[in-house]
Amino acid sequence: MLAATALLAMLMSTHAASDPPAETLATPERFAAIADTATRSAALFTEAGKVLTHPRCMNCHPAGDRPRQGDIQRLHQPPVARGEDGFGLPAMRCPICHQAANFDPAGVPGNPAWHLAPHEMGWEGRTLAQICEQIKDPARNGGRSLEDIVHHVGEDHLVGWAWAPGGDRAPAPGTQAQAGALLNAWVQTGATCPN
Amino acid sequence: MTTLSVTINGRTYGPTEVRDELTMNDYLREYLGLTGTKFGCGAAQCLSCAVIIDNPGGTSYTSPTCIVPAVSFNGKSIRTVEGHAKDGELSALQKAFIDHFAFQCGYCTAGFLNEGQVLLERLARKRVPRADLEKTIAEALDGHLCRCTGYIKYHEAVREVILADPQRYLL
Repeated sequence: MLAATALLAMLMSTHAASDPPAETLATPERFAAIADTATRSAALFTEAGKVLTHPRCMNCHPAGDRPRQGDIQRLHQPPVARGEDGFGLPAMRCPICHQAANFDPAGVPGNPAWHLAPHEMGWEGRTLAQICEQIKDPARNGGRSLEDIVHHVGEDHLVGWAWAPGGDRAPAPGTQAQAGALLNAWVQTGATCPN
Repeated sequence: MTTLSVTINGRTYGPTEVRDELTMNDYLREYLGLTGTKFGCGAAQCLSCAVIIDNPGGTSYTSPTCIVPAVSFNGKSIRTVEGHAKDGELSALQKAFIDHFAFQCGYCTAGFLNEGQVLLERLARKRVPRADLEKTIAEALDGHLCRCTGYIKYHEAVREVILADPQRYLL
């Protein structure tokens, strides 16, 4: 029990000397020593939260209607808005500038499905615990099941851009597969949210 | 290198081998000499570089060219400021811009003209109530920057063209 507590403290601390660097993710196996299932589940989500709260994800899950950009998460320039379908307003649609792939000469990121998350999926300004409850709520996660969430994070092509953003953008921690594995383990352990 | 074929103002250019990193703005200005399309901020923030893209279905929209690769325009049909006048006759919107002295330095004019033209075409397909006209024009021109602050004059010029033919543009 003592060892498990120590491991939990190590994994959930952001400043422990033994913490993996911010750009990596711990595997689900590293949490196996946490005996209490709910505590382990919350710890798994906390680890996955390194991805969810990373600028690569958060910039397109804004609280308002305007995305953010860059590692410093400044408001998107030029000024654009989400629009009804998440692809922008009629005169400023996301795909007009954001092509199917990055265009590095202009520093413009790209993906065939470049768009904003719906307003109800805004994460900006929320704690990880709040984001967790939001992700579990079909009314605020696009009607997704927990399995859908695992697929969205672990396999979606647009989400996958976060791990290969190009330019001088910091990639999301770990790999997309690792993030998906963490969330899958979180679901399998009861999808408990951190406090 | 990628092959580019694009129709500009009704004329087909290419196929031409262009560098993948070439922007559409450089293609228009440096390759074709179509310098009516300006290079402003280089970050799609001022939209002085905007051109009209014509969809096959008859709809149209504007796109900046300064941050967009030329090859992304392959197979598309676009219009630039050089394509508005027909047989030497300025378009109604161009005349309205002059009548309202809607420009001073003129650097942003091509972008405003293209955006205004797209709005006219959109309203001709789907009219709006007169009460919504001011908001509709403001939203359409939003995003175009004019350092001479000629916004109201551009707005008035677009409004004049619409009000000159209300049955076409308004409910």
